[in-house]
Amino acid sequence: MRVAIIPGVLALRPEYASLEDPVAELRKAVDEARDWLGDGLLVVANGSAKRTEKAPGHFDERAAGFDAELGNALRTGDLASLRALDVALAEELWADVDALVALPGLGTVTEVQVDYDDAPYGVQYWVVRWVCPT
Amino acid sequence: MTQGSPLRLGRHEFSGEATLMMAIVNRTPDSFYDKGATWAEDKAFDRVAQVVEEGAEIVDIGGIKAAPGEFIDEDEEKRRVVSFVARVRSAFPDVVISVDTWRASVGRAVCEAGADMLNDAWGGADPELVDAAAEYDAAIVCTHTGGVTPRTRPFRIEYDDVVASAIADTTGYAARALAAGVAKESIVIDPAHDFGKNTFHSLELTRRLDEMVATGWPVLVSLSNKDFVGESLDLPVGERLTGTLAATAISALAGARIYRVHEVTETRQVVDMVNTIAGRRRPRRAIRGLA
Repeated sequence: MRVAIIPGVLALRPEYASLEDPVAELRKAVDEARDWLGDGLLVVANGSAKRTEKAPGHFDERAAGFDAELGNALRTGDLASLRALDVALAEELWADVDALVALPGLGTVTEVQVDYDDAPYGVQYWVVRWVCPT
Repeated sequence: MTQGSPLRLGRHEFSGEATLMMAIVNRTPDSFYDKGATWAEDKAFDRVAQVVEEGAEIVDIGGIKAAPGEFIDEDEEKRRVVSFVARVRSAFPDVVISVDTWRASVGRAVCEAGADMLNDAWGGADPELVDAAAEYDAAIVCTHTGGVTPRTRPFRIEYDDVVASAIADTTGYAARALAAGVAKESIVIDPAHDFGKNTFHSLELTRRLDEMVATGWPVLVSLSNKDFVGESLDLPVGERLTGTLAATAISALAGARIYRVHEVTETRQVVDMVNTIAGRRRPRRAIRGLA
C-alpha cells in the first residue's frame, strides 16, 4: 500500500491563504504526495516546533537531535523506531508524532521518497512517501 | 472578496477588487502643497518616475492650480500638459495617465497625446468634456462642486444634505457621460472634498462615504493634505499627513476605489491594511501561529 506523511500546517488551508504563499514549496510537495497517494494511508505528523529562537515554541537545544532521529526513521522506513518514539519528549518539543507512534501494521517499507525536509519557521516538516507490500 | 465593479481607464483594465493610487503631478508654479516643486518639466518627470516606482497605478497631471490665481488660458494650459503627457506616455506605457482639467479642448489635446483619463475637478463646468472623453474612449471623473465656478473658493455655501447633493450631482454627471458615449466601466464619481464645501461638509462626506459607494459607481477620493484636514487638526500644509491618512482609512473602509494623493507609499499601506481588516484583501504573507 501507499503511505504519505505530511505535516499538519494550518497555513496550507485555504482560509489562511496569503497573497504570497509562505509555504509554497511545502504545499507543492504535499499536493504531489496526495495526488500520488490515491486511496492509500495519509499520516499527519511533524517534528519539533522549537528549532530556533523565532520558532513557535522558542529554541530548545534538544530539538535538533530529536528531529534528526525522527527524520532518519522516516527516511529509512524504520517502523520499530517510530513506534518507540519518546512521546513525552515529543510533547515537550511540540512535535506531532501521535500518528507515527500509532501506525497500523504495515509489514516493511520497501520504497521511500523524501519530497520535503526542512524547518523554514523553526518547525521541522517532512513530506515522505512509502510503499509497503502489504 | 469583490468590493466593486471592474474598471477600464483608457488602455488599462483593473479588477473589481483593485484599489488604485492616483499620484498628483503638478505642472504648475503655484499649487498649494508643493508650491512649484515640479513646475520645471524635468522635475515633474522625475516625480512621475518616483511615484511609478512607489507603485502608483495612475498619475494625475495638472496644469492649473485649483485655487484662485493667475488666469491660465487654454493655450497655456496645453503648453503645460500636452507634450508632457506624450513624454510620460512614451516613457511609462504601463501607467494610467490622468489629466486634471475641466476644459474639453484641453481634454481632446491630452487624449490625442496619450492620456487615459480626464479628471474634471470642477463638476462638468464645460459640458463638452464628456464628449472629449467619449471620442477617445477615455475615462472620466465626475465630481461634485455644488455648481461653483472653476477656481473659486466656497463662500457661505450650504446644503440641505451635502451627501444627497453629491450623489445627485455626481450620478447625474455620470449619466451624462454615459449618454455621451463614455463606457460605463470608465466612469468614476468623486465627492470632491473641499470643492464648494466647508470643512463640516467634507467631514460629513467622509463619514457617509458608504452612501456614495452604494450607488454602484466606483468612488474616487481626493483628501490629500486638504483644508478640511488642516482645519480639523489646526495644522498647516506640510503637517497634515497623519490626518489625511485617518480620512483615507475611513474612506477605504467605506469602499473607495481610487485615492488621489501626494504620498503614495503611506496611502497604499493604509488602504491595504484597512481592506485587509475588512476582509476584502488577503494578508501579504501570514505565518504567525499557522506554521
